[in-house]
Amino acid sequence: MFDEEYLKKIREKKEEWDKKFENAKERNLKFVTDSEIPIKRLYTPLDVKGNYLEKINFPGVPPYTRGVYPTMYRGRVWTMRLFSGHGTPEETNKRWKFLYENGETGFSAAVDALTFNGIDPTNPDGAPEVGTSGVPLYCIDSLFALTEDIPIDKVSVALVVEPFTSAPVCAMYFNMAKMRGYDISSLIGTTQNDILTMTVGYIPYKNVAPNHLLRLACDFIEWTVPMKNVPRWHPINFTGYNYREGGIDAVQELAFVFASACSHIDNLVERGWKADDFVNRLAFHLAAHKDFFEEIAKYRAARRIWATLMKDRYNVQKPHSMEFRFHVQTAGSSLTAQTPKVNIIRTAIQALEANLGGCQSLHTNSYDEAICLPSEEAALIALRTQQVISEETRITNTVDPLAGSYFIEWLTDEVEDKVWKYIDKIEKVGSIDKALSTGFLYKEMRDAFHKRRARIEKGEEIFLGVNKYPEPYDTCTDVFRTNEAAIQIEVERIKKLKARRDNAKLETIFDKLRTICEKEENVMPLIMEATKEGATVGEICGIYREIWGIWEPPLAI
Amino acid sequence: MSDKKIRVLMSKPGIDGHWRGGIVVSRALRDAGMEIIFGGFQNVKEIVESAIHEDVDVIGLSIHSGAHLAYTQQIIDLLKERGVFNDVLILVGGVIPAQDFPKLKEIGVANVYGPGTMVSDIVEFIKEKIKK
Repeated sequence: MFDEEYLKKIREKKEEWDKKFENAKERNLKFVTDSEIPIKRLYTPLDVKGNYLEKINFPGVPPYTRGVYPTMYRGRVWTMRLFSGHGTPEETNKRWKFLYENGETGFSAAVDALTFNGIDPTNPDGAPEVGTSGVPLYCIDSLFALTEDIPIDKVSVALVVEPFTSAPVCAMYFNMAKMRGYDISSLIGTTQNDILTMTVGYIPYKNVAPNHLLRLACDFIEWTVPMKNVPRWHPINFTGYNYREGGIDAVQELAFVFASACSHIDNLVERGWKADDFVNRLAFHLAAHKDFFEEIAKYRAARRIWATLMKDRYNVQKPHSMEFRFHVQTAGSSLTAQTPKVNIIRTAIQALEANLGGCQSLHTNSYDEAICLPSEEAALIALRTQQVISEETRITNTVDPLAGSYFIEWLTDEVEDKVWKYIDKIEKVGSIDKALSTGFLYKEMRDAFHKRRARIEKGEEIFLGVNKYPEPYDTCTDVFRTNEAAIQIEVERIKKLKARRDNAKLETIFDKLRTICEKEENVMPLIMEATKEGATVGEICGIYREIWGIWEPPLAI
Repeated sequence: MSDKKIRVLMSKPGIDGHWRGGIVVSRALRDAGMEIIFGGFQNVKEIVESAIHEDVDVIGLSIHSGAHLAYTQQIIDLLKERGVFNDVLILVGGVIPAQDFPKLKEIGVANVYGPGTMVSDIVEFIKEKIKK
């Protein structure tokens, strides 16, 4: 990066400086990043390796280290997208409109555990959880209620459902849009569709085995993008955030998502598509955690790794195929139920990491995150946090403002190097479904849980209010309670739907779906048909279970 | 019977998949010399059945879905119906607002552990309550 003569001079001076201040006082701490990269006292031009044009270059051109767009936030500010859902679709619609009126620029549907697991509310095992952790989306009528009076042709909607239920839930959404008169070929939005979220991020309740989940995820990508049914849709959002929250570090987070992304691309290439046909629509969802600079380095490294992977491994021809686009969520697991207002500060700092790292879209957590689902007041403060950054701080004045910092460039290289090594480690086990079914990823997650827990108990990782300056649990925050009547409302909704639909016609479609599942062909066309006729998510997932069986994840204590 | 180990059933009532808490606590209890029966997802009936069959001293319920009051009440009702409520110590952990701790204790939970709990506190509490 620098002239040899110039570096030589600096090296000499640096040695002098080192000697002079050899015994300068330093606190008795381990100076390491969250992923345990040792950090030096000082960084200088000596630490910045390589060629600017090859490794860093300008924004909007490969390897995109500085950002995927040439103007970044000077052109358009990131999308402010709060993950939101509770009670019933009607109540969630009300919350969405409230946030939209206050300046939110994208929507994201947080669904309940029944929707995640393809369980209808009539099943007593999950009934107490209807609407308690997200919005129930069990049938097409729910999608109409969720998006009522919302301009879904102008504002993008993220449907946070995973491969087990992404086909039925998104088919319901697409059918709803069609019935409303929208052309789905121009519809914008995202489906999370992330195989690792409901396997290692959360554990699945009566889902199917990972090889089927991988195929379902790829069915959805194939049907929307290369088959051009919804070509502007982001059919998958590799969600490192969810497993990062479990305790893994920044390096593991990136390696998990890249190994997973490659398995999906390989699957679609096996189906006869070229990477250039679809990779530009693949999206990512990363965490903004507690280590400020490491997270920024992570986003920059991620863009460079992705561009390299696409070019070297998949030989893509279009520059757009190398662009790494990502949504960020601030770290829920960094927040405390003690002195919850301190969470506003934590979240603001983490949001700033995401923005300095060039995210395309951002969710900021509410300060009551460790207590309950967000209250309206807490969600508004979370939105205002982003607006303070975008409207008041002027950080959007220039692109990638931290580039060229000796430390940031060095750390970006370090993170990148470690991620490549960890991707190798995962790929030695096999494709991502194998890494799941063999239990490898579960063991990695488990080890990370325990390591982090030990660090917290030893006070090596600080949580103010918990292991330093401990405080009792807060009892002043208004606990937001979800609607207890949601269960009856949702059971009633399904009852009405079942009374008006053509059950005989639906049975024929279900039989065809069974055959398609047996033959392992793309399920999307039939699920579009079935959900249009009123099939519920639980019924579709019931067919998956019937044909492919239920999978128990290989958990280890 | 001083060499008999304390037996703990660790269970996740319902279908919500937040699994870290249950695993972290299970490991800590095992490391402290207790016997762990990791039930994973179990419905109310399954929890009570395994508690009886496995003859456990403690039932740990890990709940992050917001439905902690409903599930815990159902489990305690069934334990009482089966006449074994007084034989077990019931502990609940998860994302549970402190405002709900008294309600849970009122219905029969011995202790509640919210976010940020030090697992050593759970170990200590169990050892103090159950002398073997």
